[in-house]
Amino acid sequence: MSEPTTGRTESAESAEPDFLKVSDLHAGYGQARVLQGLDFSVARGEVCAILGPNGAGKTTTLRALCGMVRGRGSVTLNGTELLGRSPEQAARLGVAHVPEGRGTFNDLTVEENLRIGAHLRTGLGRRGRAGRAAVAADLERIYDYFPKLRQRSRQAAGSLSGGEQQMLAIGRALMLRPSLLLLDEPSLGLAPLVTRELFEIVRAVNEEERTTVVVVEQNAQLALDVAHQAHVLEAGRLVLSGPAAQIREDGQVAEVYLGVSVSSRKAG
Amino acid sequence: MSTIVATLGTDRSRRLRAALTVLLAAALAVGAPFYFAPFQVFQLTMVLLYAVALAGLNLLVGFGGQISLGHGAFFAAGAYTAAVMLDRYDIGHLATLPVAAAGCFLLGLGFGVPALRLRGLYLALVTLAFAVFLPPLLKRLEPVTGGSMGLTVDKLQPPAWSGLAEDQWMYFVVLAVTAVALLLARNLLRSRVGRALLAVRDNESAAEVMGVRLALHKTLAFAWSAMFAGVAGCLYTWVIGFVSPDSFSFVLSITLLAGLVVGGLASLYGPLLGAAFVMYVPSVSQDVSEAAPGVVFGLLIIAVMFVAPTGLAGLPGRVRAAVADRLPRTTAGLDRTPETESAPDTEPESRAASEPSATVTPADPAVVDAEPVGAPPRTEKE
Repeated sequence: MSEPTTGRTESAESAEPDFLKVSDLHAGYGQARVLQGLDFSVARGEVCAILGPNGAGKTTTLRALCGMVRGRGSVTLNGTELLGRSPEQAARLGVAHVPEGRGTFNDLTVEENLRIGAHLRTGLGRRGRAGRAAVAADLERIYDYFPKLRQRSRQAAGSLSGGEQQMLAIGRALMLRPSLLLLDEPSLGLAPLVTRELFEIVRAVNEEERTTVVVVEQNAQLALDVAHQAHVLEAGRLVLSGPAAQIREDGQVAEVYLGVSVSSRKAG
Repeated sequence: MSTIVATLGTDRSRRLRAALTVLLAAALAVGAPFYFAPFQVFQLTMVLLYAVALAGLNLLVGFGGQISLGHGAFFAAGAYTAAVMLDRYDIGHLATLPVAAAGCFLLGLGFGVPALRLRGLYLALVTLAFAVFLPPLLKRLEPVTGGSMGLTVDKLQPPAWSGLAEDQWMYFVVLAVTAVALLLARNLLRSRVGRALLAVRDNESAAEVMGVRLALHKTLAFAWSAMFAGVAGCLYTWVIGFVSPDSFSFVLSITLLAGLVVGGLASLYGPLLGAAFVMYVPSVSQDVSEAAPGVVFGLLIIAVMFVAPTGLAGLPGRVRAAVADRLPRTTAGLDRTPETESAPDTEPESRAASEPSATVTPADPAVVDAEPVGAPPRTEKE
């Protein structure tokens, strides 16, 4: 929050550059082939931004990673193949997906929503005092990241504002204690300042928990502020990849592909 | 749902009020059989046992978001399990209860499998088929079920030490089972499994990415629900002492579903109200017009759904909301935002408390997150 956001020049210096490795990923819906062979890697503890215009395949990429759409090729997380697994199995392997449009459970309270996030950790045999204490501690941790959620913990999720729902969706995903957090368009439909706050929290989570994050965004500016690496997707192919700072600097290229003027913000 | 949210509130005065309500209800329930005539006590007993079946159906339809037009068949299965056991073996009534419950649980587990592939009307049709084919099947299995003549078994008899009449004893036994069943349903919903069930209803794919096994929880919802219906059926045999295929036609299934919707879906006490509706309205309408109780029953359902689309259980909330809307704004609206006024069900204190501590100031319009998604859940899920 404090320092002016000028992009992350520091790298996570991960010993595992291929923590998430996507090779030749094809995916689509029925006849429609959306992804035409993606290759990229995300190092452990890094934030990776996937940018691009509407319909480029950003959301499909995330859905293929978490098992919501079927893909061909290979996606490995820490050496384990993710393709061909159901979303529930992917969740068991530590992949937490915050879907586009948040997907909060609107009739449940905020706290119940968060507890659903811990669903996998409270199964049979893990319900002892230690397990319960761990979930309670995690709830506190989430409430520390999102103080607004603490105030509304007993309110129905449907009565929250859009920004709060997005916070809830992210908090719920964190309750899974994921090793890979997938964020699909977290800025969707939110006011700019709320979005900025949200991205600062994502950055804090990444720094404190060392959670690897893949974030899909239309708001390139914000995503590049938080990300270490960035990829630009167009029509199902990667057209530009590199450190986030470099992609920011490469203003002209970004303008062409992202339709936004990245350099303009520096002036203002 | 708002009832659940409300009962979960830690607000002390609310808790006290809830405790008083429960105490009062318990006192009334215990006192009733000493006050009413035997036939009326019998009717109350039937209300209680229907409430068990409706509570089960509520788990599936209200909280699970699935539909069943075949719950009369699970009810019948429970009733016949008890009747056949009492008919063939010299065992006590109580021994039939766990068998009926377990049997129907397994039956429901089996019927949960089509629920994985079908939804909405298609699922309704498959479950209806179950309700339609069961009575003829019971007639065919004559050596076991007694065919269309049915089976007559002993009713529940009061032990000598109780000093109660037959109807009173039956009432208390059914009351005890009902209380346990309703408590079980309530606790189930607050458990991890219940949360998962609600999550699947609210947003299937979001629940799945959280690691909730859709197939398991949908099937379990069917199984739990069938178990409750089976327990209700077992109680029915204890109380009536007679089962026949014609007692469990598919009309029973539809009546149960109608009772639940009239009582209030996804409400904790909706099943009790619905059971009273199912029990009393046909007999009352018989008094109104002997020729066509069905017509009166149907018209009353239409009337209730028109006045209280969220069921009888949602009626008080709707009345409160309507009254709050009509109150002059000058009394309440000076320092409140319009948002709070239109949401009488959310506690104004908690909202007011949360507003100032937020990091944003209302003076800066750009800061305010301008997208309130969905209205506060004023009433139960429809």
